[in-house]
Amino acid sequence: MSSMTFGQKTFTPTPPDKGSFPLDHEGQCRKEMVKYMVCLRTNTNNNSACREEAKAYLDCRMNNQLMAKEEWSKLGFGDLETKVKSEK
Amino acid sequence: MLFFRLSCQHLLRTAYGNSVALPRQQFVKLQFHTSVLRSLKEQQNVKETAGWTERQKKLRSTVHYVVATAVLTIGLSYAAVPLYRMFCQAYSYGGTTAIGHDADKVEKMLKVQDRVISVRFNADTAASMRWNFRPQQAEIKVVPGETALAFYTACNPTDVPVTGISTYNVIPFEAGQYFNKIQCFCFEEQLLNPHEQVDMPVFFYIDPEFAEDPKMETVDLLTLSYTFFEAKPGLKLPVPSFVKVKQ
Repeated sequence: MSSMTFGQKTFTPTPPDKGSFPLDHEGQCRKEMVKYMVCLRTNTNNNSACREEAKAYLDCRMNNQLMAKEEWSKLGFGDLETKVKSEK
Repeated sequence: MLFFRLSCQHLLRTAYGNSVALPRQQFVKLQFHTSVLRSLKEQQNVKETAGWTERQKKLRSTVHYVVATAVLTIGLSYAAVPLYRMFCQAYSYGGTTAIGHDADKVEKMLKVQDRVISVRFNADTAASMRWNFRPQQAEIKVVPGETALAFYTACNPTDVPVTGISTYNVIPFEAGQYFNKIQCFCFEEQLLNPHEQVDMPVFFYIDPEFAEDPKMETVDLLTLSYTFFEAKPGLKLPVPSFVKVKQ
């Protein structure tokens, strides 16, 4: 089916930078996910307001071997990290 | 005309044995005429044969040129396919992206606060896929340059483990080149045990260059659509070439 779209615009999917997330079968990070979803709902789905919760979820994933450990600045959370450091 | 008359007279004389008197002047003229004509004819013959070989040579060289042009054209059309592919990869022309994003880009990118983009989420399953697959949020408001997290949920209501594999799509197509996924759950087989439910996150960002593209000026809504297929042995999913198939 995709071969018959000659001349039409086609979409080329790109690979994710860090590959695929392993599935969280045991639901170890479910609490963080729920917190993030609650935050989104209270802030009318505004992503900028819920970055702390997103960072917490990814932190949980890293701690439970569900994600490769990465520096926060490489994941786009560099500003949050500096804020935390300055508060400490 | 004179020649004709003279030749007729000559013929008559030879036929009737000199009874037709040909004046001497005219006879000389006749002789001169025939010899001149003969030499002219000879010259013309030589020229004709010489001209014919010259023309043949020219013809042959033209044929050579034409055949060479035809061979060159056919060769170029065959060579154009890999050459074009290399050109596209080098210059990211027509939506094909350069292989691999820079990890430094995520570190150094600055967010563009005034362009708020709504990203809507859509979830689909193939007709024979028995999972229940849906997004956890209908939409998220993102700014370019900021990383965002979104969730999908998949549930396996059957009594047998089912393996799924997914692919995704971004609409509008031109915005797809700015949509970069850091980590997601696509293109790799995911196994769900019976009666199991999992959360599947997508961690992505929109390239800050989105704000500078004049074609994207009126684009405020992006739709990310995931489709899950059942990964049966022998399933031929149109997976892109960069995906390594798990053994």
